[in-house]
Amino acid sequence: MSIGGLVFSPTAPLEDVSADEQDLVARLVAADPSAVGEVYDQHHRAVRAFASRLVGDAAAAEDLVHEVFVALPRAMRGYRFESSLRTFLISIAVNHARHHVRSATRRRAAIGRLALEPEGNSADPEQIQRRKELTSLLTRALDTLPLEQRVTFVLCEVEERTSREVAEITGVPEGTVRTRLHHAKKKLRQELSQEGIG
Amino acid sequence: MTDDLLKAATRALHEETADDGDDGRFTRARVMASLHQGTVKRRTRLAFILPLAACLAAGTAWGAATGRLPAMFHAIGQVVGYRSPPNPPKRRAEVTLSATPAAVAQQPTPSDVLPPAPSTAVEPAPARAEPRAPAKAAPAPSSSASFQDTDGDLYRLAHEAHFVSHDYARALAGWDAYLKAAPGGRLATEARYNRAICLLRLGRDDEARRALQPFASGMIGYRQTEARELLEELSH
Repeated sequence: MSIGGLVFSPTAPLEDVSADEQDLVARLVAADPSAVGEVYDQHHRAVRAFASRLVGDAAAAEDLVHEVFVALPRAMRGYRFESSLRTFLISIAVNHARHHVRSATRRRAAIGRLALEPEGNSADPEQIQRRKELTSLLTRALDTLPLEQRVTFVLCEVEERTSREVAEITGVPEGTVRTRLHHAKKKLRQELSQEGIG
Repeated sequence: MTDDLLKAATRALHEETADDGDDGRFTRARVMASLHQGTVKRRTRLAFILPLAACLAAGTAWGAATGRLPAMFHAIGQVVGYRSPPNPPKRRAEVTLSATPAAVAQQPTPSDVLPPAPSTAVEPAPARAEPRAPAKAAPAPSSSASFQDTDGDLYRLAHEAHFVSHDYARALAGWDAYLKAAPGGRLATEARYNRAICLLRLGRDDEARRALQPFASGMIGYRQTEARELLEELSH
């Protein structure tokens, strides 16, 4: 499975696959809606959080979550119990993210040009306001990165996953993950300093 | 300083997008609806495609058993608007040209390549002063040479009669046969031009004029200058 140059190829076999899990996977492969619903209920929060961090736009993130779970039955044909189901779902999200990231980036750029970005709620405490500003700042900086670097940064730094896990999700060697992360951070520092905040 | 800011922004993004308590009911409903829609689509597709495939398979088997397969393909081609030769393939297979025994002996084998590029395959314009062969209609096929019903073979035979044997009557019949078999073929334009030259060679001036007119007008975009010059020669 590969979209946009990102390939899912799990490398760490999981032992002790329970009969329940095997049954769930079999039902997913058969596109059983109740199985998809079950997996959704268990993992949608993790997928949504990752999608929001990667895309930086709640509506686009929701679309990505939808796409991930609709694509799940077909994608499950390639599932070999070599990674957790949650990791597998994240890898599907990565593979479907390109279009959503691009459209969210365009939307942000347009809003920025028109200066229509909504004002923060003055009722919020100062800390919440500051957090929102930082989030918005980082999201705009992430927009300047290539998708591979963006995915790597979000998975490693924002989601705090190990480089091994990220390598598993993105289907590249750990060395490549570290290189991408290095370049991503370098570019982000530049972007932040250009904003005149660093 | 920027490092600290990057860390703070990363932490902020993490917290901002952490579980917001949304139970995702709306998206769940969307996912279920999409899956249901996909299932319905698949079922509908199967309901249409399977009977259609069965009909096609049965029809093909029947056609093959009764020997009507080529005629069926021809009829289907006409229905869907495919520009196929006007005659069923069976008749095309019997297209013959009048040919001398020598020419028959020189017929290319199926492995032969097509004639050279059109620029070299087209006869130079014949000089008006050159004595022409007496005007006569192309002889009816007498000693017929049956050959494979491929457009390439038809073109090759016509080309050979025109440029090797210089038998313009036979070449004309050959170009006509090729154009009948492949009116929209890859080499149809060249064949039409060569046909016009054959008419000219045979002294059939009126027909040659009519055949050259589309080339001279630039409508076809091929050998316009030569066609114009020939038409001028004909008008003298």
